[in-house]
Amino acid sequence: MLALLLAAALVAPPAAPLTRDELRARYAGIRSLSADVLQVKEGRFWARPLESQIRLRYTPDRIVWESLSPVRTSVVIEGDHLTVSGAGGQARELSALASDPRVAALLSFIRSLITVDLAAIERDFDVTYGVGELVATPRALSEVKLFERVRIGFDARHELAELELETASERTRLTFLRIVRDPPPPALPAPAAR
Amino acid sequence: MKRTALILAAAGVLAVVVQRTFTLDDHPIRSLTHPDPAIAALFERFQERSPFRGKIFVEVGALSAAERGALEVRLRDAGYREEPLFQPPPPEQVLELAPLLPAENLRRLLGDEAIRARAEEAISVAALPGGDGYLAALQADPAGLGPALLARLTPGRPAPGGGKLRVYRSPTPLDYGRVEGVHDALLALGDRVHFIGADFFAVENYRAVKRDMLLCSALTLVLNLAIFFLFTGRWALLGLLFLGTAVSYLTGLLAIRAFYAEVFAVVLAYTSTFVGFNNEALVHLAGIEEKSRRRSLLGIWSAIGTTVIGFVVLLFGRSVMVRQMALASLGGTAGFLLFLLAYRGVLRRIRFRALEWPKATVSPGVIAVGCAACTAGIAILGLPRVETRIEEFRFQTPALGEQVAHFSKALDALALENVVAVPVTGPPGDTLAGLGARGLVEPGRHPLALWRSISEQEESLDLLREEYPRAASRLRGLLNGAGIRIETASPLTMRPLDEWEFLDRLGELGPIRWAARVGAQRFVFAGLRPGAAAPAGSALIAMSPRHHYDALLTSLSQDLGWLFLAGLAGMALYLGFLQRSLARVLYVFAPLFPSALVFAACARVTGGSLNIVHVMGFSLVIALALDYTAVAVSSDHGPVELSKVLLTGLSTLATFGVLVLARHPVMRDLGVTVAVGSGVSLLFALFVRLPARLEGGR
Repeated sequence: MLALLLAAALVAPPAAPLTRDELRARYAGIRSLSADVLQVKEGRFWARPLESQIRLRYTPDRIVWESLSPVRTSVVIEGDHLTVSGAGGQARELSALASDPRVAALLSFIRSLITVDLAAIERDFDVTYGVGELVATPRALSEVKLFERVRIGFDARHELAELELETASERTRLTFLRIVRDPPPPALPAPAAR
Repeated sequence: MKRTALILAAAGVLAVVVQRTFTLDDHPIRSLTHPDPAIAALFERFQERSPFRGKIFVEVGALSAAERGALEVRLRDAGYREEPLFQPPPPEQVLELAPLLPAENLRRLLGDEAIRARAEEAISVAALPGGDGYLAALQADPAGLGPALLARLTPGRPAPGGGKLRVYRSPTPLDYGRVEGVHDALLALGDRVHFIGADFFAVENYRAVKRDMLLCSALTLVLNLAIFFLFTGRWALLGLLFLGTAVSYLTGLLAIRAFYAEVFAVVLAYTSTFVGFNNEALVHLAGIEEKSRRRSLLGIWSAIGTTVIGFVVLLFGRSVMVRQMALASLGGTAGFLLFLLAYRGVLRRIRFRALEWPKATVSPGVIAVGCAACTAGIAILGLPRVETRIEEFRFQTPALGEQVAHFSKALDALALENVVAVPVTGPPGDTLAGLGARGLVEPGRHPLALWRSISEQEESLDLLREEYPRAASRLRGLLNGAGIRIETASPLTMRPLDEWEFLDRLGELGPIRWAARVGAQRFVFAGLRPGAAAPAGSALIAMSPRHHYDALLTSLSQDLGWLFLAGLAGMALYLGFLQRSLARVLYVFAPLFPSALVFAACARVTGGSLNIVHVMGFSLVIALALDYTAVAVSSDHGPVELSKVLLTGLSTLATFGVLVLARHPVMRDLGVTVAVGSGVSLLFALFVRLPARLEGGR
């Protein structure tokens, strides 16, 4: 059995790098998305790598970034507004923070990452497409220079599988465990047709 | 043929040199520098923090989210980068400024409830990608003193969160095509969006100048072709005029380049009038008959001499734009005369049709009486004010005018429309109180009103020394529980700030500087009350660009007016020496009197004033139009020379007359002034003459 699998792998055509057009077609027109995510953060401000369970909900007007564990918190990004709720459950709007263009650019970038909005990502980053992933590095005039490198990993169905973001003092890795999209992703074309 | 080919090759080389070494500047205003170095330095210090320098402002409150998004993409694609209007104090300044927060504010910020809320906020935001940026800011300012200081020290700032007023840093160098795209997109959004910035004026002026150059050059060419062909029926003369004008255009630009690295676009547009100067030199140097050679040369030297004097005096002006125009004219004239040298033989062979018409012979006494009557008329009407406003110096569409009015109103409401620098010897608060008592400023609205007395600051300091370390420690503890570690600084260096230190620090936070020192003198900046003006002769110095440049341009206009009078005196001496007759000199200058009367009457009727462009135009009138009377009186009103005067006069009228169609106000005002002056002079030279015994340099 093992030999058969090995033989199958050896005769399979080599995986082709992702293309911009494929991804654009796959992620165009997302009306809503929700995902369960495992997030690991490590860096200067973290005493030890922090592993947290995240539930993400996206619509074009609103993003809810909810940490379920180890501490229950949520951040709601709605247009120019940023609202946070802590473990106590009391919501607070961070208007001064959200009105800072650098923070606004960061929130907008998070929005484009979640929906794999390539046009928006490419405005600030140089993007290279590899096998099952794309890597983005900030352009000279990027408004989100905070990130030194961003990697988006996709599974075999080109579904968002992993996000890695590096800043000067922190590395964040998001592993997407379950994604529900509206509309659902289009079926991948058969290899011969691609 | 060989000669023409050589000149064409030389012109090609000159064109390459011009094209490679020239840079265009669209801000003739920005080049103006106050003659007093202290005031110039003060203005520069104030403008360093100017919210308008290198930035554009866009009010997007009435736009939908989709429209805002589309506009943002457009701006980014054009190279604009958004930045905050007010910067929160940098971490190292937060603690320095902290004593300016009242003790009750500090008590709340450092209290347990606020610290717990801040920790919760930090733990939530840290969960986001890029949350370490927030944690770094928290580490520098654990109690959130920075935002509290910003809220207290900039009370008039736009409400945060709404994103109503956006500030964008302009790209450098400016890409006109892209900025035009942004400008058009903003205009298409109608009155739901307001915008302002020097970039939009630069683009509008660029468009206007480009259009003026194309339109005026084309019309000048067509009209001159028609006039010259009608008078001479010779294409050779036209060929010489246009080839020579191309050469003079290049030598004129190189004359500017010898002194300035950048040439103003409006000066480039002005060079389209060179054909007006050149036609005079060409026509008068062509077809000189041997029997009247002496008279012709007297007329020619009178004409060329007055032209050169007219431009030379402009070189002493302080306006770079005017100096560039004078340099271009002198360089162009020299280039054209050198060009004609190569075609001496062709010029000798050309003949002009002799035209005759009746003329009124008047005695010098009658001319003197006419001039005196005009002078009396001017005295009765009143001498027009010599005053230049910035609006007369730049092209502004009605749409841009509306935007200026909108933002001027907003600045007026903040008492920032007319900011002045006030020299201060004692505490600035006392000086402001004095100005307030005179009704010039409202001290209560000046930022200095936010300064707290030393004893009040001491009270805040006592609280900070006691509570701040405890609050920082509590925050660290709460964050540690969530796995976040930060290190906070200890506020050991805090001390009260005096009024000057306060104003200096405040200027570093916001877009406006409030204090400056030039040499040993300290100044405080203050906005005059709406409707108030700095009393004449007071020590208040205008700092807002519009008021500063209006005052500067008016002063430059007055200087130029004096130079114009000096030029007239120089010409009178030159002509007196050349013509050896007071009557003939009077005849040459006589048309200036009715011209001046026309301007005085217009100024009286319209309530307008004479601006720097009119004065520049007067210099052109004496440089160009006095040639008609000089040639006419030197040649004894000979039919051939007078035909030449008619030809050159019509050509000049056509060249400057078409400028009436220009969009740029500088070109239009110049066109009107020169056309009126030249028209009066031409009619006078053609139809009025001195008795024969007094003419012709006998």
